[in-house]
Amino acid sequence: MKIPFILEIQPGAMLIIGLLLMLLMFWIFWPKRGLLALLSKLKINNQRVHLEDALKFLFDCEYKNTICNVNSIAGNLNINMEQASRLVERLISMGLITMNDEAIRLTDTGRSNSLRVIRVHRVWEKYLADETSMAPADWHNEADRLEHFVTVEDTEKLAAQMGHPVYDPHGDPIPTIDGELPSPKGKPLNQMKAGESGVIIHIEDEPKYIYEQLVVQGLYPGMQVYVIHVIENKITFAANGEEYTFTPLFAAHLTVELLSDKAPEKQKHDLLSSLSMGEEAEIAGISPHCRGQQRRRLMDLGIVPGSLIAAEIKSASGDPVGYRVMGTTIGIRKQQAEQIFIHRKKENHYESNE
Amino acid sequence: MDPLNTDLKKEQILSAANTIRWDLGMDFHDTVIESIYEDASRIARKSVKQKGDKGAYSMDLKIDRIVTSKWLGFPLMFVMLAVVFWLTIAGANYPSAMLSAFLIDYLHPVLNHAAASIQMPWWLAGVLIDGAYLSMAWVISVMLPPMAIFFPLFTLLEDLGYLPRVAFNMDSLFRKAGAHGKQALSMSMGFGCNAAGVIAARVIDSPRERLIAIITNNFSLCNGRWPTQILIATIFIGSVVPAQIAGLASAGAVVFVAVLGIVFSLVVSWGLSKSVLRGEASAFSLELPPYRPPRILQTIYTSMIDRTIFVLWRAIVFAIPAGIVIWLVANIHIGDLSIAQHFIDWSNPFALVFGLNGVILLAYIIAIPANEIVIPTILMLTVLNSGLSGMGAGSGVMFELDSTADTASILHAGGWTLLTGVNLMLFSLLHNPCSTTIYTIYKETNSVKWTVISTFLPILLGLAVCFFTTQIWFMIMG
Amino acid sequence: MSPMNNCETCPVHNKANLIKLGLNMEQVDFVVAMAGNPNTGKSTVFNNLTGLRQHTGNWPGKTVSRAEGGYVYNEKRYKVVDLPGTYSLLSTSTDEEVARNFILFGQPDVTVIVVDATRLERNLNLTLQILEITDRAVLCLNLMDEAQRNNIEIDERTLSKELGIPVIPSAARRKQGMNELLNAIEEVATGKFVCRPHRIKSRSSKINHAIAEIAAKLEAQFPGLPNTNWVALRLLEGDNSIIEAVRSGELGHINASESGKINTGVLTIDA
Repeated sequence: MKIPFILEIQPGAMLIIGLLLMLLMFWIFWPKRGLLALLSKLKINNQRVHLEDALKFLFDCEYKNTICNVNSIAGNLNINMEQASRLVERLISMGLITMNDEAIRLTDTGRSNSLRVIRVHRVWEKYLADETSMAPADWHNEADRLEHFVTVEDTEKLAAQMGHPVYDPHGDPIPTIDGELPSPKGKPLNQMKAGESGVIIHIEDEPKYIYEQLVVQGLYPGMQVYVIHVIENKITFAANGEEYTFTPLFAAHLTVELLSDKAPEKQKHDLLSSLSMGEEAEIAGISPHCRGQQRRRLMDLGIVPGSLIAAEIKSASGDPVGYRVMGTTIGIRKQQAEQIFIHRKKENHYESNE
Repeated sequence: MDPLNTDLKKEQILSAANTIRWDLGMDFHDTVIESIYEDASRIARKSVKQKGDKGAYSMDLKIDRIVTSKWLGFPLMFVMLAVVFWLTIAGANYPSAMLSAFLIDYLHPVLNHAAASIQMPWWLAGVLIDGAYLSMAWVISVMLPPMAIFFPLFTLLEDLGYLPRVAFNMDSLFRKAGAHGKQALSMSMGFGCNAAGVIAARVIDSPRERLIAIITNNFSLCNGRWPTQILIATIFIGSVVPAQIAGLASAGAVVFVAVLGIVFSLVVSWGLSKSVLRGEASAFSLELPPYRPPRILQTIYTSMIDRTIFVLWRAIVFAIPAGIVIWLVANIHIGDLSIAQHFIDWSNPFALVFGLNGVILLAYIIAIPANEIVIPTILMLTVLNSGLSGMGAGSGVMFELDSTADTASILHAGGWTLLTGVNLMLFSLLHNPCSTTIYTIYKETNSVKWTVISTFLPILLGLAVCFFTTQIWFMIMG
Repeated sequence: MSPMNNCETCPVHNKANLIKLGLNMEQVDFVVAMAGNPNTGKSTVFNNLTGLRQHTGNWPGKTVSRAEGGYVYNEKRYKVVDLPGTYSLLSTSTDEEVARNFILFGQPDVTVIVVDATRLERNLNLTLQILEITDRAVLCLNLMDEAQRNNIEIDERTLSKELGIPVIPSAARRKQGMNELLNAIEEVATGKFVCRPHRIKSRSSKINHAIAEIAAKLEAQFPGLPNTNWVALRLLEGDNSIIEAVRSGELGHINASESGKINTGVLTIDA
């Protein structure tokens, strides 16, 4: 009987072949860096990317009332002057912009085109923030990548699913399909005076290194701020019981809507995770970092400002902890309990029978 | 009214709403919910009075403190599960034997006889009786009794309120694997039946974690695979150790395979949450309901209807065509050999690389409807392929032997070694889900993609594990 | 085995009038929707009314799909639809959409809200949301036996006055309170009891103003819409199915005067 070739290979050689095959599979399927992922990246059309990015940038200038030229486009898109001027020529020939002594302006078609790109970008940012577990610092970059190859239909389907969001996670308004956008609100933090208080409504996400620092500091849209004093080149303000001192350059990245009727909250919140067994506290709120379905689920379970919550039982491994809220025991993981703010009660000896 | 005008007005309403939404700000949804709670709490304050202490609740809390305690929590859980499995395996033996005596030993010959007496053509009788009927009878007699015991027991624990506590205790382990604590439940349910385990994953409300639980459920060694494991372990593992500890060694081997399944389930969950399912949203919430005394009769009734009969019916629907296919491949000849023999000869070299053989591969392909018929199919194919005489009941007729020694001699005659046995045990753990489970996965996820992944991922894993086991074995044994 | 045999404690006078129809639901006079939080014994109440045996696990979120059953009471035929148990109707899970859409577009004659008497406050969250959508509802205050064991006392009359709907205490597992529930359903269905459902009062003036503005526009476009304020609020939340309903004009078919009896098959969402 003839022995098939495959059985004549030595086990050692066989093992190596097997390992190589496995490595090959990993290389093909590895997310983000694998062969398949790289192939899908090749599909992105570079020219479209530059066109759309330029339109977005020009609209941003218009919205902020600054003037931009070929130079600033080159800077923003990180391309050289020659590429930038070719890009501008293309945009002019397409009837999307006009150029008048260096200053570049959008035409009406150009404006509606850029609003469309901005809508796609912000809807996807909102999606990434709410419905995925992506880190805040990556939302913007990922949306920047996605916006150039997702279709308008996909985006609209996504928007419908999320309940047609009107704000992106940085607090920027999302343009409507018809290209409507409200006029800018609030003022930059560096223009506030001592004693004024307000709510952060926007955190500028470009340049990235400043945005990342602001996020790391724990600042987020919806946070209440109170300006303590302003001296030259330094603005000191309080938010969530912490004091921050920023240079005006940094402070300009935060937009604040002034509050007149509400007294600023000065007390610092404790975290639910700090509650010891048997202790009871009042819920102050849920951190804005807890978003999307996670947040809605917690609110459905009664985690809303004002409800009383008590830590009752620890699971056998210590995490999650069972908290009693509105008559039900709910297991909450430590990671989530760290996103729920509480006010401790003054007298704290709570018995199991309440 | 002019329809165009109406449409315009509708759009105006929508756009007006949109404009107002800019003003309402980002936390509008939160405020809406908070205002509802505010009203709710005002009404509750007016109408609810707590008089004295909460009797039943403090009782619950006392039980919870024991059930979730650091020292007693886990042991209690394992004892509980062990009792459920013991009751299932021990309790199913007798009714299983009765069913099989009736359906296979008594009714099958009667049917064959009847077919002969009305002069039914032999091939039609073969397809209908030896193929379709026999595989159905097999599935019923092996599957029904354990499920009829396991599911009600499980449902009782569920109704009592104990299972959510298990999820609560197990969560930290599953969290590290990127999964949900409730996966502990779908996993334990999977030890009964993977299809039921996949359905049980419904209690996980976060989509990502639910998907992980569905895909990895197959790594729970289901009822249909326990007998295979026990049989093979007894024949091959039990025979290499001294006779006094043979029983212990083979039982240990089976438990090892089951634990290996749990390890795979966690590792694959981790892998999935780091790769394909990375970035999918996850939301964790786990309510611990009050303990309630279960209503035993109703529980038995509903779990029979909801789970046992439901799963059994699906299994039968898939088993009948498979029985026909099994009979056909063993009886249709091309040239001198049947289709089955052609396939076995062709696939044998490849199978040997994985430490398996052509018979096992073919058996796992055609016995896809239920793991219960894998061993009978393997026996039938081995006899067919090695031309043993005086064994079995004819080509295409599945059979099993009462004596383990007889089974062993057939397998040895088929060229099986200890390595084949070990690999069969591994492959029985790590192969595609049965067709009932595959169909259930499709029903539950509504996605071809995830169904395909859940089907082929375990096969790839299984082949890889068998391959490395075999080649390392060869290296060591020279 | 007749389930009514166990019912020693319930009032006898109506027993003869109840015929359980199980799945036989031809030519119904009234449609009853059953809503409630998970784990409140909703399925047990459903089973008591219809004689069916839906599984009722002690496990939040057990009823995944919609179950239907029927009964005859005082010679009227009722169809009961057991909606998935949810905590809220405002989030975006499929379960909630099924429940919400049925109450809104299915226009049941009566919505029975089953709540857990031991955690009334939590359950009122859903109750209040339902009362924003529909005018005709009955509150089934279930698990009263457990509430008693926990020494919780509930003033049903105050509760009924606050919510503006009948409140029926019950212990469905012991089949207590079922006749009163049947009675209350009948009274609301036939219009003998006119509900004045509670509407949310704690909203800020800014939100109320926004709602009023949109509601006025809706009123002009869809006269007779019974819950314009709620629809307006949903539009302000960007609820896609409501936006679609406005666009397609489906909203116009919802009418205060004529309810029930529409073929529930029009609901395409299937859990």
